[in-house]
Amino acid sequence: MTVKVEVGAGGIPHNQILIYGLVGSLVLIYLTYLNVIFDTTVFSFLGGLGAVAALVWGTDTIKHLCSYGLGTGVPSAGMIALGSGVVAMLLATTTGILAPIVALIVSAIVGAIAGFLANKVVRMDIPVMIMSLTELAIVGALTLLGFAVMVGGTFDFLGLAVGTTTFLGFTVESYAASVIGGSIVAVLFMLGAIAIQHSFNACLGPGEQQDRTLMLAAECGFLSMIVISVMSFAFIGFIPAVISLVVSVAGWYYTYAKYIELSKRDAYAWLDAKPILEPKGGA
Amino acid sequence: MSALGGPAQTGGVQQPTAIGIVGGLVLIIIALAIAFFVVQMAGLIALIGIIIGGVLVAFGVHFVPVGGAPAAMGQAPGIATGVAMLAAGAGLAGLFGGAWAAEFGLAVALAGGAVGGGLMMAITCLMVNVTYIFGMGIPAASGKVDKDPITGDTFPAYKSQGTEGHGLPFISYVGGVIGGTLGGLGGTLIYLMLLGVYEEVLPVTLNASVEEIAPVAVSLAGIFAVGMFLVNAVLAAYNITGTIEGPHDPKFKRFPRAVIAAAVASAVTGIVAIMLVGVL
Amino acid sequence: MEQILFGIGITAMAGALATVAGAAEDTESDIGSQGDPNSQVQLAPQMGYIHRIFNKAVAGEPPAYGLWVALGAGIAWAFMAMQINAILAIVIGSALAVFVQGVYATTAYLGRTASLAKFGQPVYIDIIKSVTTVTMAHAFVAIFTTVAMCHLMNAALGHPFPLPLLGLVWGIALGAAGSATGNPFYGKERQYQEQKFGAGVPISASGNIVRYAEAGQRSSIDNGWFTTKLGGPASGVCFGLIVFFELWRTVVFEELNVWAPIIVGVVIILVFMVIDRYIEVWARKNFGPYTTETEEAAA
Repeated sequence: MTVKVEVGAGGIPHNQILIYGLVGSLVLIYLTYLNVIFDTTVFSFLGGLGAVAALVWGTDTIKHLCSYGLGTGVPSAGMIALGSGVVAMLLATTTGILAPIVALIVSAIVGAIAGFLANKVVRMDIPVMIMSLTELAIVGALTLLGFAVMVGGTFDFLGLAVGTTTFLGFTVESYAASVIGGSIVAVLFMLGAIAIQHSFNACLGPGEQQDRTLMLAAECGFLSMIVISVMSFAFIGFIPAVISLVVSVAGWYYTYAKYIELSKRDAYAWLDAKPILEPKGGA
Repeated sequence: MSALGGPAQTGGVQQPTAIGIVGGLVLIIIALAIAFFVVQMAGLIALIGIIIGGVLVAFGVHFVPVGGAPAAMGQAPGIATGVAMLAAGAGLAGLFGGAWAAEFGLAVALAGGAVGGGLMMAITCLMVNVTYIFGMGIPAASGKVDKDPITGDTFPAYKSQGTEGHGLPFISYVGGVIGGTLGGLGGTLIYLMLLGVYEEVLPVTLNASVEEIAPVAVSLAGIFAVGMFLVNAVLAAYNITGTIEGPHDPKFKRFPRAVIAAAVASAVTGIVAIMLVGVL
Repeated sequence: MEQILFGIGITAMAGALATVAGAAEDTESDIGSQGDPNSQVQLAPQMGYIHRIFNKAVAGEPPAYGLWVALGAGIAWAFMAMQINAILAIVIGSALAVFVQGVYATTAYLGRTASLAKFGQPVYIDIIKSVTTVTMAHAFVAIFTTVAMCHLMNAALGHPFPLPLLGLVWGIALGAAGSATGNPFYGKERQYQEQKFGAGVPISASGNIVRYAEAGQRSSIDNGWFTTKLGGPASGVCFGLIVFFELWRTVVFEELNVWAPIIVGVVIILVFMVIDRYIEVWARKNFGPYTTETEEAAA
């Protein structure tokens, strides 16, 4: 007895979400370059917003891919997305200002090859496989890049690999106390991997509604931003980190409240401390 | 969470398409050429090691007995969890052991990683059987074969009514240990190859000593190893469509597909990881 | 010698922490119906069995615990980098990770249940209020002990991986061990308590999970009460043994010869293999076949 993956019909067309997500996240991640121009880190939170845009798009992609039935859980799609995304993203950070574009191109190549292998060698023969895994790898790379900017203030490899630590009152540069050297990327990896698959995994069923699923995707993104902003206290200044925290808490509260409202709209009934409602005619 | 419907189970094994094999070979050759171009001989050897590591991971996943959701109800044999993540649990436990022994040279570290992965699966599989036998009073029985190829135990009479078997017969137990061992070996190999490249090149490009950049090299190699491990494990999980009983399962014969896919996927992700030092 | 004694102490401590973590992890996932038994909670309303069981479909346990533990470790690492005391940092890290876990749990229940509207499954909002906090408490125990264990491995035993990467590795291993050992006990023995003991659940009974308790209606908290009797401790022993032997073979035997830990590891694997074969034969002998061989041949 297996549960069939069912999705609701209708809603905004996928291509429209793709374009909004792609352009939105690229623009927002590029806007964090204002950090370099003004020699500050207050714009770091824009990276997190870019990641949220990418996650919303990725959720819609996962919904399309998983409605075909993969034979294994929805979370596996998130794992392969972030697994291909993380290699592309780390390579991209070494290219300076080109980083977001390079992340996009390299991850698209890696994702397309993964999709090609899944269809032509493993013989999944799912029509949307190549396109979906390409999109998912891009989403994974942009999500990680956005989160990395948010925690470290920059998408430059040296900026992410060199941190500062206070030793006997002196500030010394240290490779260990950095976003990459401290393996904070591993945390960002898991945050992205769960956030990208959770919304569809949590909302699947015959009553799935696109607006509710996508609202949950944004909620997962903002929730991840909250903890990332807490970690960013170790890397960027106090004021920029507080700004990140305030933005993410506000975004999270809004999307969470909205999501509960939408769940209330779609639920069969919304009961508090009531017994089991046996269906008419008995079970 | 593997309670989701899979693609239709067709009889026999669908062979990889010709374009898939040729395209894969071309991609591997291109990747090897780039590796040689970027970091010369060391890069070429590292990439070959990464490809072997990825193949070992994908091959190892096929040995791990995973029953998915039906196993949690005693309806099907195997371990009641997702195949990619169980393999990841064993492989990463092996990676932990291998990375710890990295300073003693390649052979010791690889053996340490392999034993670490095997140990994790040996204990997990034992506790699965303990739960089945002492918690639920259910003996082990395979649904796919009538006779255990190792011990010669017969199964049809030990299958409870209306199920496809349950628990972990000895062949599945051995398969789990082999799978964990191969996963730990493959994951550690990927890690050590990348660590070697980074420890050689990063001190020059960052103008620092090997000790100073060690955290960056270890973290980069570790995260890349985890990422590549997951890509290979998920491709292998797609290949077996979620559940498998172990080396005696007919689905096991599908492994050549996953091996080819893993070799190409590791070559591509591996070259991206190696190019990192070339671009810097 | 002193070095080895210190190492053994840390190993024992890490093993103990891992045992607590495994037990708490399994209990948490059973209260929330996470992992594979979740499929039955999802299936029941479609078969006409409306229930009041929590439906925490965040992800499988391994990826979910990979996140919770890596997150706890990452935040703890960041606070330690800001010169905050290690224990305080680990507590803050675990608390924030539990906050994330709790939010994910509520959204999973609301999402899955709202999507089941077609089958008449209502959202019981009081379940979120009462059960989420219980799963969060168990998750805190699991995350705190695992992060503390990872910190010991990094700071006291000198493992090269930084804390967050260790958290990712051991979080996934914790989820894998806990779900493998604990899931069948919850899935078969608790969800299908009315089915025959000593046999698998017939496929025809799928979805007919127990929904009423001794008095009133079954709450997910009762499921935690039940699985802590065996599934939880078994998962704890499983994860504790994994961590203990993994560290013990290295810490104690590395001084002897670099190959010694590997030989010891192989010996331990063989010992566990023999134990497994012994209990397998024991079960076959004592429980006996369900049908006799001749009947099977005739059928």
